[in-house]
Amino acid sequence: MNKSKIVVAITIGLMSFMMIYIMMVQINIVNEYDGEEIEIMREAELKTTLAAYKEKYEEANNELIDTKAKIEEYKKDEKTEEDAIKLLEEEVEEANMLLGKTDVKGQGIIITLDNGEEEGIELTSISTEDLVELINELKLAGAEAISINEKRIIATSDIAEVGYSAIRLINNERTTAPYIIKAIGDIKYLQSALNIKGGYVDSALAYGHKIKIETQENMTIEKYKKDITMDYVKK
Amino acid sequence: MIIFAIAIGCLVGIMLGINAPAVSYIYSDYLAIAIIAALDSVFGGITATLKEKFDFKVFVSGFFGNAILSMLLILLGKKLNVDIYLAAVVVFVGRMFNNLTMIRRFYLEKWDNLMKLKEQVKQEKSNQTKTEK
Repeated sequence: MNKSKIVVAITIGLMSFMMIYIMMVQINIVNEYDGEEIEIMREAELKTTLAAYKEKYEEANNELIDTKAKIEEYKKDEKTEEDAIKLLEEEVEEANMLLGKTDVKGQGIIITLDNGEEEGIELTSISTEDLVELINELKLAGAEAISINEKRIIATSDIAEVGYSAIRLINNERTTAPYIIKAIGDIKYLQSALNIKGGYVDSALAYGHKIKIETQENMTIEKYKKDITMDYVKK
Repeated sequence: MIIFAIAIGCLVGIMLGINAPAVSYIYSDYLAIAIIAALDSVFGGITATLKEKFDFKVFVSGFFGNAILSMLLILLGKKLNVDIYLAAVVVFVGRMFNNLTMIRRFYLEKWDNLMKLKEQVKQEKSNQTKTEK
């Protein structure tokens, strides 16, 4: 009698334990999925929502495709713009080169011009006219870049004398003999233009100047070092 | 002693159940119906006890049998695409309400009887005092 009662009590205890345990598990599950709409829905509802989502997805996908196409277009535009910028840059560089604002390299000749000397006494000094003439000759022979004592000759360059002294102004900078004149251009033309009979070399020698002509395959002429400004010229 | 056993069972169940591992949501239907069936058995058992018709074997077999059978029925319902668990819930909860009504009535009758008894005792007492006077 007592034994069977104990068995009953234990069984009922176990049963209540199982029931409460399962209840707690279920509560846990419900809590975990609480707020998730999708779990409460019926199958039909789920189907309709699924269809709605599919539609939305398709719309979004189409939009995405459109946007991608647009981006592609923009990229193309950008590319053409970049090309234009590159072209402009190239043009600017070329213009700078023509102006003399960049260092340039190439084949050319180096002329060393000095006052004639005889036993330490200067015979004749080189005048600005000599220099101007030389530069004109070089330009005539197709020189593309010229410098005198590393002073680049550009469109606005000046070659002037300071009084009757030996100082010459080139680009408003002082310099004296000897003059090293570099010119980039066709070596043959330049040399023959200077060496022609009755040409510059002849006349320079006749005046008693020292003149020496060298050729160089790859030489550098430095850029014009000042700013090129225009205060009065207007468009 | 039985009440003690129930209390211990409930306490241990809560303590272990709070940290119970999460089961997939798919099984929540089965667990819910098993709980409802077990509760129905519990209330049935209480009613039977009150009516002094309680049979331990019937109670235990009903507790487990109903739970397992209802779970199987739900499985069948899922296979046949019928919401059988709705029917099971209706039946079990309906029976639970019936049992609860019976329990309530039993205690109400008891209460009434107690009140009547008290009044009788009072009346008897007053009668006694009257006769004494």
